[in-house]
Amino acid sequence: MARAFLREKDHYVALLESTERTVLLGLMQQTRLLLSPEIEPTGDAFDDLVASMGLSLSAADQQTDSASLDDRDPALDRLLPTAHRGDDEIAAEFRRLTEEGLRQRKSGNLDVALACVDGAVGNRVVLDESQAPAFLMALTDVRLLLGERMGMRTEEDAEALHAAMDDIDDDDPLGYAMAWYDFLTWLQETLTHALMGTDLRDVVAAYDDDDVEDDLEEDVDDDEGRRPDGTV
Amino acid sequence: MTAATLSLAPVEQEVTSTDEVVAPDVPWVTIVWNDPVNLMTYVTWVFETYFGYARPKAEKLMMDVHVKGRAVVSNGPRESMERDAEALQGYGLWATFEKDS
Repeated sequence: MARAFLREKDHYVALLESTERTVLLGLMQQTRLLLSPEIEPTGDAFDDLVASMGLSLSAADQQTDSASLDDRDPALDRLLPTAHRGDDEIAAEFRRLTEEGLRQRKSGNLDVALACVDGAVGNRVVLDESQAPAFLMALTDVRLLLGERMGMRTEEDAEALHAAMDDIDDDDPLGYAMAWYDFLTWLQETLTHALMGTDLRDVVAAYDDDDVEDDLEEDVDDDEGRRPDGTV
Repeated sequence: MTAATLSLAPVEQEVTSTDEVVAPDVPWVTIVWNDPVNLMTYVTWVFETYFGYARPKAEKLMMDVHVKGRAVVSNGPRESMERDAEALQGYGLWATFEKDS
């Protein structure tokens, strides 16, 4: 059973079991892969700065016409959405100037989050003040990707998906995906509250929903092909 | 006819060109759109963290996004709005910018 992110002096600590950490790492890695920038961070501050300005001259970056966007993964349109509705030219120009930098920043957040989960001592996932915001943003991008893969594009979609969980087949991968999505939502909610210094209010501090726990356990015990992260 | 008309035109032309000069100064806006994934608490945190808005204002804007489907979260020159939209997209919010109408 996971325990929420809580503030401990100047750190934020959650208790996540091995399975939860493994799935979280898998989902973060897949999101990281999708968002991989054209130019990976080099560790050289100046080179990274230049790259973040979107100055890549590679052929792929010069294609800003809508045709080249039509065949890209729809999840990318959710993670890197159109910034101007109504003027494709302005939107394309904005994308050309910002997409590489956004990919770098989002990938950087995921790298921080991956290192934090990977570096857990026992079940303790510990974030410092600078890692916590990166972790929050990384969780957002993972949930955006997972949500997109489940077809959750509107509030109505979300309600329909949750309603469908009541009589979904036990072995439907969508059920696992939804269980993990809800788990990530809960985790993000608790970290946000911890960062804002607010009470958890109606958010429970321990993740002990029986149905979800069952789903999580089934998922681990089941064959690899049915892991929820395989659905992303 | 044409020449005569043109000789009277400068006044009107001047008005027209003044409009064109003024146009770029018309404030632009950054808009955040509702989506089913982003959490209400998280959106509030983003508005506080990025804009430095106080909690009541951040929560009001968040509720506008949630209830009305969208909210204007900042306004100013186009360059600033592009910067805001980019930053908010970095946070995972569905942000766009446009000329205020």
